[in-house]
Amino acid sequence: MYKFKRIYLPEFIEYLQKTYFVFAPVKSGTETEFKQITSFTEIDQSRLNTTISPKEIFFPRSEVLFTYDEDGIKTPPKREKPAALWGMRACDTRSMRILNDVFANAHQMPEKDMFKDPYWIDKYKDCLLITEACLNPLSTCFCNWFSSGPFDETGSDIFVVKGEVDYYLKGITPKGKEVLAGFEKTEKTIAKDEEELKVLQSIADSYMNPPTDLGDLKDKLGKIWDDPLWDEIGAKCINCGACAYVCPTCHCFDVSDEGKGNKGKRVRLWDACMFQLFTKEASGHNPRSNSIHRVRQRIMHKYNYFVDNYQKFLCTGCGRCVTVCPVNMDIREIIKQILDHKIEKKDK
Amino acid sequence: MCNTYIPIPMKIERIINENPDKSLRTYNLSFVNEADKEKFVYMPGQFCEFSILGKGESPFGIASSPTEEGILKFTVSRTGSVTREIHYLQEGDIVGVRGPLGNWYPEELVRGQDVVIIGGGFAFTTLRAMIVYMLEHRDRYGKITVIYGARTPEHFIYKEELDEWEKRDDIILHLTIDKPYPGWEKLIGFVPTITKEVRLDSQSYVIVCGPPIMIKYTLPVLSEIGFQDDKIFTSLERRMKCGIGKCGRCGIGSKYVCIDGPVFSLAELNKIPEAF
Repeated sequence: MYKFKRIYLPEFIEYLQKTYFVFAPVKSGTETEFKQITSFTEIDQSRLNTTISPKEIFFPRSEVLFTYDEDGIKTPPKREKPAALWGMRACDTRSMRILNDVFANAHQMPEKDMFKDPYWIDKYKDCLLITEACLNPLSTCFCNWFSSGPFDETGSDIFVVKGEVDYYLKGITPKGKEVLAGFEKTEKTIAKDEEELKVLQSIADSYMNPPTDLGDLKDKLGKIWDDPLWDEIGAKCINCGACAYVCPTCHCFDVSDEGKGNKGKRVRLWDACMFQLFTKEASGHNPRSNSIHRVRQRIMHKYNYFVDNYQKFLCTGCGRCVTVCPVNMDIREIIKQILDHKIEKKDK
Repeated sequence: MCNTYIPIPMKIERIINENPDKSLRTYNLSFVNEADKEKFVYMPGQFCEFSILGKGESPFGIASSPTEEGILKFTVSRTGSVTREIHYLQEGDIVGVRGPLGNWYPEELVRGQDVVIIGGGFAFTTLRAMIVYMLEHRDRYGKITVIYGARTPEHFIYKEELDEWEKRDDIILHLTIDKPYPGWEKLIGFVPTITKEVRLDSQSYVIVCGPPIMIKYTLPVLSEIGFQDDKIFTSLERRMKCGIGKCGRCGIGSKYVCIDGPVFSLAELNKIPEAF
């Protein structure tokens, strides 16, 4: 474990910028988003979770797949340097690893090159994920439901804790270790530092609400697909899609053309299973025509279907959807409702 | 790493109007680049994303058989914005194609077996591909029976081929229309009814493709006749966009129609919520 004085953060950012484009939480209006920064002064250190998740760095809300003109099709230029993300939280770091499973790991069929997403892979493959410990988790945080917590290092290249005077840093992956070794302002931590870290972690843990055991969630969902419970769960939802928009793991998209004459581009845009048009076919037929069915789809995908394909939940407990929902739907309450639900025996 | 989002250019060689109101058109496409042609290896039942740059992309089943070398055939019904644009195209125009995508009809499984093909309306495209493929390798399969229903005689597609197949003695064709029509002397009745009336051997393999309502009412009839669920295959339609299991639009349960399908056995579908 290393540390450097907090006053050296600007230098550390500059050091990273030699190899990386550095992205960090930046305030814009009332929101905080991950943006590319040129100087450390742009970093918003007041927020725990950014309003929009960092998925946008690798999977932009609107991304040009190619442009075309008389000369043919051209793919957009690649990012000149890989991205380093400063100020990520454990939930988001784990989310990026999950998304990488979807986009880069070709549905666990590595031989199927055609299933890999080159746009994601180009941006993600050499990135540096620096996770910062959450010292004062929010009331909406529920990462501890997913065997995670405020000090979870999983998936990080470097793990950082902001101490009273120092930043404490731990290289997790070989890449992370190498980056830390190359920064000259670092010193080795001493016993007193370990004490501070322990105190900070126990304070952070004390902020967390007790977790709900999700051991039975997947199986339970497998049994209630046509249960009237969904009418109850989905009644409030207005299908605005805000939850999917801020979610660090939601990754559905639309592909659309924008062009005039023989010039134009094909773009992909974030989309959501909350929208009626998501599944509506040209004939007018809509396999998921009902709002309740769309709510069910979102829950089923995250906690049942995705587990079938990737052996993990498509959720890391960041709590953003709880914060943004305009009708106060709380995914934690929904999960509890599902777990507590007694399935009525069918006598048919 | 390949980029599956980039379409290959293809040239429209021929446009065939399939019915008098011109709402159904078949497009025969040829490869602009020889290298693309070499790489495009497919089987009946697979689909492509067909696009016009600037207008958008839509998924269509491949109506040609890989035995018809050098061409790809798609039949397009004018329904939404992309298909309307496709209908404005002329012979000689260049379009974009991505594929082949998805899985295919169980051609190897049905070798040495009797095969029943059941289709309705213009969803006959990939079934045509399968029939042409089987006729080209005729000695690989047992008896081939086709039941094909349309609203009126005008609504059948590939009429010339249907006439040719009727003349052959190695394929049995049952054409049916929904209600009596002047001059029509073949079968009258909906596909499920005809399926019940025609005597089918329940040991055969069945491939069904048609509008959702036809599939919904035909499957119980097949079960009633005694076909096993793992011998009934159908092709699902969803609004596929990426075609590689990412964009999420064609999810049914934990499966994606674009990579796990579009062809599924009834045994598989019974395990998937939301399949019908």
